[in-house]
Amino acid sequence: MSSTLHRETLETAAFRAGYLSLLAIMLLPLLVVVVTSFSGTGRLAFPPESFSIAWYGEFLDSVRWLDAFTNSIIVGVGTALLATVLGVTGAFGQELEDDDGLLGTLLAPLVLVPLLIPPVILGITLLMYFNEFGLRGSYASIVLAHTLWATPLVYFVMRSVFSRFDWQQLDAAQDLGAGPVQSFVHVVFPNVKHGIFVGGLLAFIISLQEFVMALFLSTPGTQTIPVIAWTEIRQALDPVVSVVSTILVVISVVAIVAAVIATNLEWLSRQLS
Amino acid sequence: MTETPTRVPTSIAAVRERIAGQSSSNRALLLMAPLLAFELLVFVIPFFILLRISFAESSANFVYAEGTVSLEAYASVLTNELLWSIVGYSFLIGVVVTVLSVLIGLFYAYAIWRSTGLVKSLLLFSVVLPLLTTLVIRTYAFRPLLSPTGTLNEILLSLGLLSEPISFYPGTIAVVIGQLYIVLPYAVLAIYSVLATMDWHVVEAARDLGASRPRSILEVVVPQVMPGIIVATVISFAWSVGAYAAPGVLSSSLTFAIQVEDMMYGMRYPEAGAFSVLMLLLMLASIAIIFTVLNRFGGEFDLA
Repeated sequence: MSSTLHRETLETAAFRAGYLSLLAIMLLPLLVVVVTSFSGTGRLAFPPESFSIAWYGEFLDSVRWLDAFTNSIIVGVGTALLATVLGVTGAFGQELEDDDGLLGTLLAPLVLVPLLIPPVILGITLLMYFNEFGLRGSYASIVLAHTLWATPLVYFVMRSVFSRFDWQQLDAAQDLGAGPVQSFVHVVFPNVKHGIFVGGLLAFIISLQEFVMALFLSTPGTQTIPVIAWTEIRQALDPVVSVVSTILVVISVVAIVAAVIATNLEWLSRQLS
Repeated sequence: MTETPTRVPTSIAAVRERIAGQSSSNRALLLMAPLLAFELLVFVIPFFILLRISFAESSANFVYAEGTVSLEAYASVLTNELLWSIVGYSFLIGVVVTVLSVLIGLFYAYAIWRSTGLVKSLLLFSVVLPLLTTLVIRTYAFRPLLSPTGTLNEILLSLGLLSEPISFYPGTIAVVIGQLYIVLPYAVLAIYSVLATMDWHVVEAARDLGASRPRSILEVVVPQVMPGIIVATVISFAWSVGAYAAPGVLSSSLTFAIQVEDMMYGMRYPEAGAFSVLMLLLMLASIAIIFTVLNRFGGEFDLA
């Protein structure tokens, strides 16, 4: 009896040590990025020999990085808008279709498949395609490519949000004489707006971090942050890359906090009503 | 024929209902139309164009010779031994990373499931945060950690575990670690999302009946989370075989992605197309095999 107890304590200790070291390993690369951005020398070492904020100044002086930052935001906002419209309308339409028609059953796998194709192949495919139409290098081509990856997330978030919505409310609104648009705006939207917000945010983050498709489709005028970071890394590694990365990590953390607040607000409003 | 006055209103109501029903399904169609059109225009048609270009002849002046049909590109890819060794290496990376990612992912997801409060939030946060950071950044951070003069070597040397530094980077070990770090969060979340719906009492019952902890996990938890494991496997495999960032930053080895990029920049579109099509077919076949094997594995446990 005491030997099994002894073994169980050992097992518990090993289990705890296992997941805590994994936790450390998961966070370590991000720690490296943040710490090396404050490096005092040009060499990327962890931990750095000395600290300074000189590389932040370097970033703010670099037209190339700032242009890339603008490009990233333009593409990210474009992707978020397009993916949200497509994902929300698609999921909503599928919810309205009561008997699962052929199109409805085709839609989910069709939306999902792009996520499983290596981005290099998607990049090549879209590069060949956009070349045919002379769209190569435009913001539109990158936005369309990113939307291919962002839409599945918005779509699946919205499907789960809509599945929790009480559809009798919509019937009630229509029985009371509200048109389709009116009933959506006044009845459906207030109930799902937090879901839409989270979906749009996810789409924005997906676009902000995607780089393989952006690498293939961009021209020097439309390069996004990860694309520049990639070319920099392959040449010489200096701490400006870490500065940019830190800024992106901070944006992501702010986005998570915003999403958590939004979903908690949703939870809160459900408790109150 | 002999309609009574009372039947008329009901039939009108039935007709009205049918019209209403039809307009509702039309509305559904109208709402799904933009998404369908988008997937068709930006996903389905481009793939047919890729397929078409892969069957075109190469051209000296253009990226491919328009309007030609030939198997030239396929023949040149299929007879090139270098390309096959590259494909073999890519699949090797894919298999190693997938096995590690599913095993570690299962462990981590289980730890998240069993923990509570702050630890649970922290563990979840550690999975979500890397997910939201660009691949490039996640990958290059391993350079100062794994290089011969890097942090890991310094620690191992000062502990006396090594007499001289090991070069993890650049090399296959660094690629596996970097790629594992890229796919692990997705694997953890895929398994955790299924695990979260599971009832802990089932595991408790197995233990009360005398199952050891490892056995209760292998025979009770694993079969139940099989859907999550399948998703984690497919995602890890698909993304690792086609990995681009990790091999590019952490090694000088050629993988499929690096090689096909080279063909694109060399303006050999038909060859790049044919190589992509063949790679997709190989991946599709592998995923089908993974799916069948894991399904059967889960199914057998259900029967027992």
